[in-house]
Amino acid sequence: MPEQCGRTFDEVLLSGYLDDALVQGDEQRVRVHLEDCATCRTLVEELAAVREATMSSTFDTPRDHEWPEMPRTGASRLAHGMGWPLVMAWVVLFGGYALWELWTEAENLLEQLILVGGVSGIGLLFLRVLIDRLDALKTDRYREVQK
Amino acid sequence: MVESQGLAALAGDVAGGSDQELVDQARAGRREARETLARRHRQAAYLLALQMLGNRDDAMDVAQDAMLRFFTSLGSFDRERRIQPWLFAIVRNQVRDLWRRRQRRPGERLGEAGEALTRHLVDPTANPEADLRRSELRHRVWRALAELPAAKREIVVLRDFHDLSYSDIAQVLDIPIGTVMSRLHGARRQLRARLGGERHA
Repeated sequence: MPEQCGRTFDEVLLSGYLDDALVQGDEQRVRVHLEDCATCRTLVEELAAVREATMSSTFDTPRDHEWPEMPRTGASRLAHGMGWPLVMAWVVLFGGYALWELWTEAENLLEQLILVGGVSGIGLLFLRVLIDRLDALKTDRYREVQK
Repeated sequence: MVESQGLAALAGDVAGGSDQELVDQARAGRREARETLARRHRQAAYLLALQMLGNRDDAMDVAQDAMLRFFTSLGSFDRERRIQPWLFAIVRNQVRDLWRRRQRRPGERLGEAGEALTRHLVDPTANPEADLRRSELRHRVWRALAELPAAKREIVVLRDFHDLSYSDIAQVLDIPIGTVMSRLHGARRQLRARLGGERHA
């Protein structure tokens, strides 16, 4: 397995040479070096073989019917954008009303404790999800794009 | 000349017009243009996600989210730029979000998921037996890629599978273009060393 050839030559250029991404002067330099350096010639050949194997690979991909439809029109996007806030508002209002009813209907301390425990558990889970989402939002490069 | 699957996905469906025209039409609210753009680019988004995550369901989720995000940000997309680097940057971001949610470090190797990734490889030749050695090499290469840290895997995949130019890779990874070649070469050397180690083992 060839290692560094040890000459005054920037080996990184070999990848640029392989990708045809060098300026003319650098490409000429690599050509001249390769004529004289068996170590780098072997390296280029091995890298080219691995590159060819990667490039010629094929993966199975989902069929068309497996993809969901995209939100398409302005109206669709508006509906998509408004749907969740409306659902959330409904959950808060209906949930609040239901909790109030349960609290006032509770006949003893045990029932009140069960109610408080359940609500606290769900609240903590929701808070955790919210914190994760906010953390993810802070590190999102595209947050400005979405506004 | 080998044509990559990523490139082939883009080369198909030219009948729908150029990406620039489709972006203009999609911004104007034309549903067909959005569908054509989605069909044209979603497979590449899926493949990149699969190569980074190794899991089909996760890759599908990430690709769908990325396409959705792409369309919601279409208004601010610079139509003079290519779609694929923009979309791939979104995919990369989504993948990192998923890792974060699962409390995985971005540098982690795929591990068992890497083995699962090679199971999604299909042999593109009509006669797989005649091309057995090349097929075996492909499997070995993807297993070795799965063992690379994510940052090294992604740059090799972007260049050698998806055929992105150095400037496109710089855009996706948000690094200076001058850094791409050295980072890519380091990743390729590490990949080759893994393959060499595997061969000697």
